[in-house]
Amino acid sequence: MMSDEAKPDVETERSRKVRQRRLGDQLRRIYEDVTTEPVPDEFLNLLEQADQSSNKK
Amino acid sequence: MTKPTLDDQAFKAELADLIPHLRAFARSLCGNATAADDLAQEAMLKAWKARESYQAGTNLKAWAFTILRNLFYSEKRRSWRRQQLDPEVAEATLVASDNTSSAIDLLALRNGLTVLPEDQREALVLVGAGGLSYEEAAEICDCAVGTIKSRVSRARKALMEILENNEARYSGDKAISASEAFDDIMRQADELSRDTPEHARN
Repeated sequence: MMSDEAKPDVETERSRKVRQRRLGDQLRRIYEDVTTEPVPDEFLNLLEQADQSSNKK
Repeated sequence: MTKPTLDDQAFKAELADLIPHLRAFARSLCGNATAADDLAQEAMLKAWKARESYQAGTNLKAWAFTILRNLFYSEKRRSWRRQQLDPEVAEATLVASDNTSSAIDLLALRNGLTVLPEDQREALVLVGAGGLSYEEAAEICDCAVGTIKSRVSRARKALMEILENNEARYSGDKAISASEAFDDIMRQADELSRDTPEHARN
């Protein structure tokens, strides 16, 4: 009896989890689309410049 | 001054490794890629200047994200503020995938992210995509761990609803074409960002 009543909940819960996992995958994908882009040279150049000028001090 | 610190070269190398993450977090805050890179660069330079206040052994990513986020919120008048869904990004999303329905899903999700309240969006991105713990995200956002948890859960719920509506709208036998879906999602983005009251007169 108990398990019969619990069944739809288990189903709903499972489908919610599947959707949640899919959302997580997609969110990570949006984020990783940026982290896997090559870093523009400007960034490393700027960091290098900052390092050089702090060495001079 | 007994705090352990990294030497400059080690710090620089670790900071350089973080650049992709600074760009990704900035992109999630700004939406626009150019503004985001601008923000990420400033945050990187600020982190470099503040390197002596970084404590070796703690999470450098969380530390640098805090700097980036503070910069973002402290200069609200700059052009960094998130705009509505960038049509170029939207188009690239569709073009990049050969699977139309997953591209439309991603597009709807991007659109959903732009309409989430800022505090929910950043919490979800940090925890759900950036790989930070609730505790680290709470530190970055300067709030309680429980607050982060509830923001993440509200954001997740809102986005899941958006994706479900999307599914109902664009799937099934009469699946509409990618370009129709694109137009439709852009129109929704436009409406949401304009904050129109209701479609009172239909």
